[in-house]
Amino acid sequence: MRKPTKDSVNRRDFLRAAAAGTAALVVNPAAQAANAASPQPARPAAPPPLLKLAPDERSAAEVITVDRPGSDFMVDVLKTLNFEYLCANPGNTFRSLHESLINYGGNQAPEFITCCHEESSVAMGHGYAKIEGKPLLVCVHGTVGLQHASMAIYDAFCDRVPVYIILGNFGDSAERFGQVDWTHAAQDPAAMIRDFVKWDDRPVSLQGFSESAVRAYKIAMTPPMSPVALVADHELQESAIRDGAELAVPKLTTVSPPVGDSAAVGEAAKMLVAAENPVLVTDRVARTPAGLAGMIELAELLQAPVIDRNGRMNFPTRHQLNHTERGGAAIANADVIAGLELTDFWSTVNTVEGQVTPHIRPATKPGTKLISITANDLYLKSNYQDFQRYAPVDLAVGADAEATLPSLIEAVKREITDDRKRMFADRGAKHAATHRQVMQAQREAATSGWDASPISTARMSAEIWAQIQDQDWSLVSNCQFVSRWPLRLWNFNKHYHYIGGEGGYGVGYGAPAAVGAALANRKHGRLTVCIQNDGDLMFAPGVLWTAAHHRIPLLIVMHNNRAYHQELMQVQVMADRHQRGITNASIGSVLVDPAIDYSKVAQGFGLHAEGPISDPNDLAPAIRRAIEVVKSGNPALIDVLTQPR
Amino acid sequence: MLHRNSLTATIASAFVVVWALAAPSAEAQSSAANGKAIFTSAGCIACHGAQAEGTSLAPAIAPPPLDLAAMITYVRQPTGKMPPVPVATASDKQLADVFAYLQSIAPKTASADELKGNSENGKKLFVAYGCYECHGRQGAGASTGPRIGPPAITLAAVLRYVRAPTGQMPPYTAKVVPDQDLADIYAYLKSFPSPQPAKDIPILNQ
Repeated sequence: MRKPTKDSVNRRDFLRAAAAGTAALVVNPAAQAANAASPQPARPAAPPPLLKLAPDERSAAEVITVDRPGSDFMVDVLKTLNFEYLCANPGNTFRSLHESLINYGGNQAPEFITCCHEESSVAMGHGYAKIEGKPLLVCVHGTVGLQHASMAIYDAFCDRVPVYIILGNFGDSAERFGQVDWTHAAQDPAAMIRDFVKWDDRPVSLQGFSESAVRAYKIAMTPPMSPVALVADHELQESAIRDGAELAVPKLTTVSPPVGDSAAVGEAAKMLVAAENPVLVTDRVARTPAGLAGMIELAELLQAPVIDRNGRMNFPTRHQLNHTERGGAAIANADVIAGLELTDFWSTVNTVEGQVTPHIRPATKPGTKLISITANDLYLKSNYQDFQRYAPVDLAVGADAEATLPSLIEAVKREITDDRKRMFADRGAKHAATHRQVMQAQREAATSGWDASPISTARMSAEIWAQIQDQDWSLVSNCQFVSRWPLRLWNFNKHYHYIGGEGGYGVGYGAPAAVGAALANRKHGRLTVCIQNDGDLMFAPGVLWTAAHHRIPLLIVMHNNRAYHQELMQVQVMADRHQRGITNASIGSVLVDPAIDYSKVAQGFGLHAEGPISDPNDLAPAIRRAIEVVKSGNPALIDVLTQPR
Repeated sequence: MLHRNSLTATIASAFVVVWALAAPSAEAQSSAANGKAIFTSAGCIACHGAQAEGTSLAPAIAPPPLDLAAMITYVRQPTGKMPPVPVATASDKQLADVFAYLQSIAPKTASADELKGNSENGKKLFVAYGCYECHGRQGAGASTGPRIGPPAITLAAVLRYVRAPTGQMPPYTAKVVPDQDLADIYAYLKSFPSPQPAKDIPILNQ
């Protein structure tokens, strides 16, 4: 049991003493201990005695200051983990930690980033981690705050991204002041997210907090990475640190990522070198720049085409071996397919067709061998089904793909003979020619609807590229909703040029993840660009204010198709299938009448903003003006009326 | 709130992409009889059906929805789920034979020839019926549906396809969309010029 200090008594001690019928608050630790050991502890029979105290009695009795709260030590612990930022919407379940961070901790490392929604806090951490390769700190208010945060946590979990979350809580019922405290308290606060965090804990002492905090970081950063949550009970934060307490912060030792064993890696190398038409399929390989470099080296050694599912920036878009845009044909022609951190291997090698009943057929030719290298084989949870359909591969290497690339590359080098080298060179020349054809086909396809109004997403993407290509840029939004045009037209070749998507397809991720990624890019001086879906922004637009308030430079170009367009198409399909009301499908899915003026919304949050722009010829000058604002260190938004996709 | 996005991911690769391909003409002499044999030996019947009538795996292709040159280009390097047909499997000459065969077995579609489309009405219907949702407001195409403006196939082929589409495109049955409305939409899509070449657009060459 925690012991009170001589001159520093917390609220719990005061209440306990008062409940026992005394106003004397300097409690004898020995007596308290004896009391606790009593088989029949006294229970308060009267209403809370605070209400009975006269004002002057109360002021004389209660010591109402705390010199060194437990939350100060929590800050000591958190500072050892080198968080740059703390993203949070304030909540009184972590009010003491909040105060300790900004005063005792000096509001530096971490610096408090004010968020307007807990979903924004977590998604900012999600985007930040994919640029920076490490988590930032997120504090979340008890119960309601965590409920707000939960979808963003699920997205980060599905995307295998570390987010470090501290949950406030009114754990001890005797410490709660009133209705709100009870409502925002939980017996097991992390229960609601336990299915989609990698680890959580609720330490009951400061030393326990210290060890769990370091352990949580270590777990979050071990591939497969995922969010973690640590409950910081209100009482643990606000109680004074016991005099003479021997508190220590353990050393953080990060875990080396799991690497494929040499036999399995050697077998994979043999299969790839012996193959006539090997194909590499990537999804979340490149956690760091080393992953991108490793993928280039492996593909070039084998002269094998790469199909990038773009969960990360895995392979340069203009590399002659990037065959993403003809993925179906490459898969159909492959005799060996290696999936590297491939989230959905089954759908890569199978096709589901049909209107009402799914018809499944292989997308590969008979006898194609499948190799999987993924850390996901080492860690699964049961309830949520993000693990996808079971893929019966021929060789499963349970390991982190990026960490395994160096040994796989060396094994491939050992297997390659001069004959194979000559054959690979011929193969590479053919792949290069095909790549050129495919890239030209993308450019030709982009001309369709070039002058259309609303503006085509191809035109919008090309206009952005024309303005940023000479800058050190970083695109931090999912390209799926704009027909992948940036990935089809731009020259992506650096680790931070792309960060993939939501992971869990949870809408509302886009805007805050972009702001978080821009926050990470800020110190590197990169021009961060986000093509922002209108429906996504409407979930929690307050993150625009966060970007303005904290001077986070970010170019936001709205893809404003005035609808929850994905759902609009889904309802249309149902109306067609049911042969009724096919003109009514927009009910419930479109954002019109009134049309939302995003430039005014953004201006209201303090951003430079222009639009709506419907003439494609107006785009270039607007983008140039916005980039000047971003280069001055601020966010800017351009509202563009666009074609649906 | 979670949203399902699988439609986007799969719809682009559906066979309906054949609609989109433009067609430089390169007709060749051919033999329908020889084409029939190749249609079988090359494995086309496995997905398109013995009479090219279409199955759940692939659309009807008799008459061929593309001209010969476009068909050859497409089958050499398909963009959908169709496996490529290499020269070793069927030469250009043999594909011309297949083309002739597909023309020879095409069902008669007199009704399509009799329909006269109203472009203005088609423009309204294109939005009202939700065609724009996947194909764009001018039929320019997107990841969700191929370019259909201007259409590369005949009205008869459109009428056949939309009644029993393959891939992810939903069926527009005669119960909800009359042939005349489709003719109007077809006329609207015909009003768009073919896109300019990419080489003429500087920012597409950077």
